[in-house]
Amino acid sequence: MELDKLEKILEKYFEGETTISEEKELKVYFTRETVPSHLEKYKDMFQYFSEESNITATRELQLNTNRKTLFSWIGVAASVALIAGIFLTNMPSKSEELGTYEDPEIALQETKKILNMVSLYMNKGKKELVYLKEFENTKNKFIK
Amino acid sequence: MKESAFIMLTNGFKDKLYRLSKRLLVSNEEAEDATQEVLLKLWKNKNKMAEYKNVEAFAMTMAKNYCFDKLKAKETGNLKIVHSNYKDEQPSLQRQIEAKDNLSLVGKIMDNLPEQQRMIIQLRDIEQYNNAEIADMLKLNETAVRVALSRGRKKIREELLKKHNYGVG
Repeated sequence: MELDKLEKILEKYFEGETTISEEKELKVYFTRETVPSHLEKYKDMFQYFSEESNITATRELQLNTNRKTLFSWIGVAASVALIAGIFLTNMPSKSEELGTYEDPEIALQETKKILNMVSLYMNKGKKELVYLKEFENTKNKFIK
Repeated sequence: MKESAFIMLTNGFKDKLYRLSKRLLVSNEEAEDATQEVLLKLWKNKNKMAEYKNVEAFAMTMAKNYCFDKLKAKETGNLKIVHSNYKDEQPSLQRQIEAKDNLSLVGKIMDNLPEQQRMIIQLRDIEQYNNAEIADMLKLNETAVRVALSRGRKKIREELLKKHNYGVG
């Protein structure tokens, strides 16, 4: 490129009126080894620009958002299956047939029978408590 | 959209997002965070992707907004922007050091530009978007883009000239 043409472009450049392709020419020109001394000062600028365009990001992008939700759903499914499993295997042993009565009269009779039985055992158990009175008697002997 | 297709699509402009974020936030780490955040947001809204007429421009706008939010949060939190890009480099030649120095000087000058100009120079001179695309990304009109571009470039030239004439940065 001729020098006077270059200087014209340079002037346009600082007014912000150059095209992209003209700017590319400038970059190519100024990244050469030798540049006339009065233009030396611009060399750093264009060299810096072309060097800066080579910087790259180093960190890899992690898009694990999707996978995370998938895993959490697997967790939910697993726990549901586990709980369901526990209940289903225990159900049959618990749900034994206890029987029921259709006629209220018979039901009353049966209930009375059972309550009687309960009180019978209750009284039988209470008999043993008689001995507790001995403690009371002995205590009264000493403490008056 | 499949994950692999999404990654294919975004790989085309992932680095551009990173560089823009880095230009604004300065720190490498924060720029990586910003890039990831923007891409994840895009991924979450992948069903709406077809509605965007230009996904790349849309992502760049998102990156810009994200960085501005970050910068604002820092200001209100009264925190200084801390960036420690520790590097372990051992240039073998004095010349190399000097060249690096000069180049990083341009970077420093850019960091001192107003955010608008900084972004526009980044998008135009480094990423080579045209003014219409930049205007779309930054929600400005093209004239404003051109004016900011010209001002930014002139500012860089001015600072570089100072350095060249006095030999001190």
